[in-house]
Amino acid sequence: MARLEVEHVAAGYVEGIDILGDITLRVEPGSITGVIGPNGAGKSTLLKTIFGFLHPHRGRITLDGREISALAPYEIKRLGISYVPQGANIFPQLTVEENLQLGAWVIKQDRARVAGRLESAYTAFPRLREKRRRRATTLSGGEAKMLSLAKELVTEPTLLLVDEPSAGLAPRIVEQVYAQLLSVREQGVTILLVDQNINKAVQVSNYLYMIERGEVRREGPRRDFVDQLHAIVRDALLGA
Amino acid sequence: MPPLARRIAWSLLAFAALSWLPLAVSEYHTHVFIISLYYVILAASWNLLAGYAGQFSLAHHTFAGIGAYTSALLSLYAGVPILVGIGAGVVVAAIVGYGLGTLCLRMRAIYLALATWAFAESVRLLVAVEYPITRGDQGLKTALFFGTAQPTPYYYLFLGLTLVSLLVIWQIVHSRVGAYLQAIRDDEEAATVMGLDTFKWKRAAFVISAVFAAVAGGFQGHYIGLLSPTPMKFNEMAMIIIMVIAGGFRTFSGPALGAVFIELLSEELRAWGEIRMVLFAVLVIVVARAYPAGLLGLCVAAGKRLARLAPGLTPLLTARRPED
Repeated sequence: MARLEVEHVAAGYVEGIDILGDITLRVEPGSITGVIGPNGAGKSTLLKTIFGFLHPHRGRITLDGREISALAPYEIKRLGISYVPQGANIFPQLTVEENLQLGAWVIKQDRARVAGRLESAYTAFPRLREKRRRRATTLSGGEAKMLSLAKELVTEPTLLLVDEPSAGLAPRIVEQVYAQLLSVREQGVTILLVDQNINKAVQVSNYLYMIERGEVRREGPRRDFVDQLHAIVRDALLGA
Repeated sequence: MPPLARRIAWSLLAFAALSWLPLAVSEYHTHVFIISLYYVILAASWNLLAGYAGQFSLAHHTFAGIGAYTSALLSLYAGVPILVGIGAGVVVAAIVGYGLGTLCLRMRAIYLALATWAFAESVRLLVAVEYPITRGDQGLKTALFFGTAQPTPYYYLFLGLTLVSLLVIWQIVHSRVGAYLQAIRDDEEAATVMGLDTFKWKRAAFVISAVFAAVAGGFQGHYIGLLSPTPMKFNEMAMIIIMVIAGGFRTFSGPALGAVFIELLSEELRAWGEIRMVLFAVLVIVVARAYPAGLLGLCVAAGKRLARLAPGLTPLLTARRPED
């Protein structure tokens, strides 16, 4: 059984106006599933709908066979789904460590366990350990992205929804972010990655969907996409 | 000593340090200080809701009124003891706060303010119109808590209530819940992503602040001995906002400082009548525009300057801050 199934989902911000027309996709356990497509295709809307910020107008979403379409974000979070939104998802006035603690504490109120999770976050992101007592507002864009990823990882999610992890970052940082995603997958976390960076998404994903104007245009395992990468990038850019 | 015990010890010390006041000043001034303390509770609890949780309610004074009227009506018609009446007032305020919060807290900023304002005006009109029960603008006589109008015992009562309220608010602000509320205020979407049921916590803050207001209102009603719908007018809410902004919005001790300062100033300028509100409005605009840290900020800055002049006093004058 797939971990996450999105079946014929239509969704949007206003009743009667569908940003997602009819989306069907499956996320297999332990994989990275990539969703690519041009600006305005509905990629972020898809993640917001899965995480419960929006509810489907039609269709259903299931996690391990259980329907989650009507749940609120905090309920979905408790099922082990974490969402790393586009941009930084951190509290600038808090220190790095407070950001991590707060994230962990909401879900697991167990001091020893939270401390352990913080320790492994610092091992994965050494820069954050160096700056643990600094306010988050002093972090660079890349560090802030690392923090918002780390902040979700300390809650021990089993499924991670990641929105445009490379947006606005320097190329060197981009490499690090994707390397982190791969190592997160190695730890057994399933990832649904939404990305405009088609090259990187194809590199790390096991299976991909290309969506356009709220509908799936193409899907397949990575090698299908690798073979036709040029054509896909051109289509995406031209929106044809 | 564990932090809570230390804070309780500090509160007891503060009680002792302020207990000489009624012996040194006139009854009239004691009365002014009692009213100041009443406003300290209102200002600090509104700041918990508006400052820390970011929910700008304009019905805080109404919850004080609900507490006061519930208790007064119950003791008048049902003959319940005053403390039971005040307890009932707190329960009613909590229930009404829960209901109003449920209706309004999904609204954002200005809509929340408008909805709570409409609620406040409705309650005031209801009290004014239901003459046969509430005696409307004629005023409703209430039993005196200590059986006397002499202010000294009430001063100690309100000093105790105020210190307990400040202690509880301090505990809330510096707890996990306080961190949640500030997270919701700073970025509600990020707080949701974190897994917080933001609506539930906002409503909790709403109910808690209503409870404080009802406690203050209940006791105040049984001190003054006469209730009327007048303190449920918007002026009263404006005073609370003025106190919080002048003292230091979103700070812990700012609202308390502002409440005492504004209430004393307001008494000193009593001869000016309604012109005072204009003066206070100007003060609020100046503080908000030029010096948002408020009176508390002034005190901290003065403390630092003094510390530079007299280095020996540094640990006393400057607040300890966590490493930045």
